[in-house]
Formats: sequence, C-alpha cells, structure tokens
Amino acid sequence: MSARLPLPTPGRGLVYLATIAIAVAAAFPLAWMILSSLKTPAETMQTPPVWLPASPSLAAYESVADLIAVGRSFLNSALIAGITTAGILVTSLMAGFAFAKYEFRGRNTLFAAMIATMFLPPIVTLIPLYRLVGSIGLDGNLAGVILPNLANAFGIFLMRQFIAGVPNELIEAARLDGASEMRIVFRIVAPAVTPALAALALFAFVYHWNSYLWPLTVLQGRDEAYPIVLSLSRLLSYNRSAINTNLVMAGATLAVLPPLVLFVFLQRFFVKTIVSSGMTG
Amino acid sequence: MTGFGLRRSTIAMLAPSVGPIAVFVLLPLLLTLWLAFQRWSSQTPFSTATFVGLDNFREIFGAGSVGSDFKRALTNTALYSALSIALILPLSVLFGMLIHQARPRGATLLRTILFATYMVPMIAVALVFSKLYSPTEGPLNQVLGLVGIGRQPWLSSPSSALVSLVILNVWQQVGYFTVLAIAGLTQIPDSVYEAAKIDGARGPRLFVSITLPLLKRTLVFCAVIALINAVQVFEPVALITQGGPVGATNVVTYHIRRVGIERAQGGLGSAMAVTLLLALVVAVSAVFAAVRKEKQR
Repeated sequence: MSARLPLPTPGRGLVYLATIAIAVAAAFPLAWMILSSLKTPAETMQTPPVWLPASPSLAAYESVADLIAVGRSFLNSALIAGITTAGILVTSLMAGFAFAKYEFRGRNTLFAAMIATMFLPPIVTLIPLYRLVGSIGLDGNLAGVILPNLANAFGIFLMRQFIAGVPNELIEAARLDGASEMRIVFRIVAPAVTPALAALALFAFVYHWNSYLWPLTVLQGRDEAYPIVLSLSRLLSYNRSAINTNLVMAGATLAVLPPLVLFVFLQRFFVKTIVSSGMTG
Repeated sequence: MTGFGLRRSTIAMLAPSVGPIAVFVLLPLLLTLWLAFQRWSSQTPFSTATFVGLDNFREIFGAGSVGSDFKRALTNTALYSALSIALILPLSVLFGMLIHQARPRGATLLRTILFATYMVPMIAVALVFSKLYSPTEGPLNQVLGLVGIGRQPWLSSPSSALVSLVILNVWQQVGYFTVLAIAGLTQIPDSVYEAAKIDGARGPRLFVSITLPLLKRTLVFCAVIALINAVQVFEPVALITQGGPVGATNVVTYHIRRVGIERAQGGLGSAMAVTLLLALVVAVSAVFAAVRKEKQR
C-alpha cells in the first residue's frame, strides 16, 4: 500500500468532488431502475420525467408475478447458476491441483491449451455447439444449458495459481498418513485456498446467473425452462403493447438482486483474489 | 511420485475438466473451422454438410447483401471495441489512482459501487439504459437540458446509437477494470516514487515516468480483456435495437447468431465466426508486438 498522496487543500476538495460524482454516476441507473419500479404507469410516461414516485407502490411487483412465472424463473436461474458453479468448483480444484503439484509429460502444453480457451468468445463456437447439444437431445432443456459449462479455463487457472502456494510438506504429510489423492484435494488443499474458492464461486454464479446468449440459443421458445434474464426479455414484449415501464423495472430489480446480494457478501474475497492472483500479469 | 499410480491419478484429476472443455469448446472450435468451408443448415446433422471451398468467405466478403451486412457488422464491432477500450482504460487508471493513491474518505465504498455495476445482468442494464436514453421521457436529456445541451437522439439515430451502446458498456465494465488497475498500482513500490521525488519529479511527471510505464503490463492485459469482452456485445442489441437503426448497431456476435442459428445458414455463420477469430488473433498480436517493440527501443 502506498502512502496517501499529500495534496494541497484545493486538490483534496477536487478529489472529494470527483469521488462523489463518480459514485453518483455509477449508482444512478440502478437507483432509476428501483425508483421506476415503484412508480405508476402514468408516471413512467411523463415528459419531463418524474424522478420520485408520488406514492411509491409495490403493485408492479405483483403484476410481474402474474405475467411471467417469477418463482419458476428464479428456480431455473438458481439451478443453472448453482449446479454450474458447483461443477466448476470441483473440476477446477482437481485440475488446478494436478497442474500445480503433479509432474507429467505435456503438462505445460495441456495447460496452455486450456488457458487459450479462456480468450475464446463464445460466439465462435456457438453454432456447432448448438447442434452438438441438440444432437444429444438436450436442446430446450436445463441440462443442455448446464452441461457444456461444468468446467472452465478461468477456474483452472485461478486454482493452479493458488494451489501452487500450498506447501508441498502439507501434501506429503497427508500422503504418508495414507490419504488418497482425492481426499488430499478436498480435505487438505481446498481449506487452504478457501478465499480463492469463494471468489471463483462468486464469479461463476454471477456469470451464469446473468448469462443470456447460450440459454437463449438452447432454450428458444421453451418458456417453462427460462431463467429470469430470459423471462425479462419476454416482459419487454408484453411491454411493447401495454407500455408498463414500471413492470419491466420491477422485473429487472428482481433479477439484479441475487447477484448483488452475493457480491456484497463475497466481495472482499473477490477483490483480494484479483489483486493477489497475478491476473494482471 | 512416479509410475502408473500417479499417471492414473493425474488422469482422474484432469478428466472432469479437460474432458468437458475438449468436447464442448475444442471440438466445436474444430467444427467451426470445418463448417466454414461447407454448405450446411444448422437444423440438420453435420453429415449433411457439403464442401464448397472458399465460397462462404467469398460470399461474406462479396458485394451482395450478405457481404455488405457482415462487413458492416465487423466495422461496427471494431468501432465499438476501439471506443470502449479508449474510454475504459484511461477511466479505470484515473479511478484506480483516485481510490488507491488519493484515497479520499469513502474510497472503499466507491470501489464497491463501481464494481457492483459489473455484477448486474447485462439484460437489466440494457432495459434500464433504454429508458434513461428515451429522448422525451428519459432523465439523461433532462439533465443535459439543465446544463444547456440540447436533446440527444441516443439509440434512435444511426449516428449516435453505437456510441450510446459504448457508454452503456463503459458504465458496466469500468469498475472491473478499476479493480485491475488498483491491483497493478499496488505492485508499484513506494520506494520508486520516493526516489523519483528526491530527483525532483512532481505531479504529472511522476505519472508519465513512473506510474504509466510500470502499469504497462496491467494495461496490456486490460486492453486484451476489454477487447474480448467488447466483441461479445449481444444483449442490448438483441433486446433493444435489433441491429438498427439502419444497421448502425448490427454487431458481429448478434449478426453471426442471426445468420447461423436463426436463418440456419451454419456454413456462412461459421465462416463469419472464423473471420472474427482471425481478426481477434491479429488485433491481440498487434498489441503485443507494439509493446515488445517499445521495450526494445
């Protein structure tokens, strides 16, 4: 940590002004979303716009539940994000352990091949992947959304970085005690890299809760399997005829809540992990 | 630590991740490369593909409507990516220095708020910004009006729609890159600054001769990640602009999906995907080459 930059008083004032301005700009769209969800439909259509609803109402949240199966969508999102995250944690721990602690031929080549996939935009593989998942009968199905994402390169990379720092003596001692390799990974190594696991869990859960392109492609038209972000886009098509912006904003607020809440609880791990993983080179 | 036992446990440790990545990433990548040279409907099995040589590439770069649409999409994505990087990098360094070096009261809170925007589903961001941008009912034009700036058309005009999407992207991503910038700044030892100050360096001079050079690796990494994120822009286009007005926001991810999945022209879509991949490889190599060259000077 560097020492606080000594600034003359007018400089300090400017710094505070900038801090407040940036925070307001960053928070404003989310505040507008929440405020709009509490307005009446008429209030959302006025020119110039109304900032604060005259009598804040939760009516829009009730109407959203009537239009889209909110409970079902949340369950679908939770299943997609939850199972995918669990899979990523397990597969990344194991592979990270192998890449960090085993010597084997082709290790660096294989690791490089895995890491390269981290930089591949999903659209490049979308068309054949869509056909591939369809050909094993998983299109239109939650399993089809989940299965291709149970392992990922970022998780392997992150785990290898952190497991490399786990002392070999700890692992050797467990081997001498007769522990199996699996037991070592999940009972010895995992507890030693908990902050990195928490960060990976947050990253994976939020990414897959928010992901849109792949579920849209796999599930096209199968409403009952839609996660909340897909159901939201259906809300917009209702909105085109009814022009109920408050409904759309209520739906958006609901969809934003789980990742934000998770972030608030886990952010200290996340920031620390980014700073210490050497992810910046 | 050698012999068959280890080899078996190596396989057991790697199979659950290498297997899925091979089947669901590397295999589709090879299929994309193969399909780019085939005529194939993505509604049918891969076995129905017929080899057409370079026809797909001729068509997507040709003078017909397929060619002009794709070239427009590539240009839009290039412009969107370049503008995004040009805004995100300086802002994240500025915000990072504000939080890490000037460290005003509330710096941690600011970092939290900035980073939180990165956690918001893009679909929600797109919905909210479509309302913020509304020329008549949106608060953005109202606020601009207060400081004497006239009504902007934002998403409804071909000349400003893409820039509006860039602003949305910068809003969502700048917090993530600010944290990366902070990570880079923490790696610069105080002693370097102290030494420079003893040599009489102050303010902007410190920034140009110490901060910026020592932040270069971070910045290169950030530029590459920002580029790869930028070519993936999809939700605001799919949800709000549908590529319009008049093709102004037809970006490459949206276009490839429309051609390859919705119109089921799998061969054409794959040729576009291969082109995108090549363009990315060239762009990233150029960034690294530029950095290496500068190092040799």
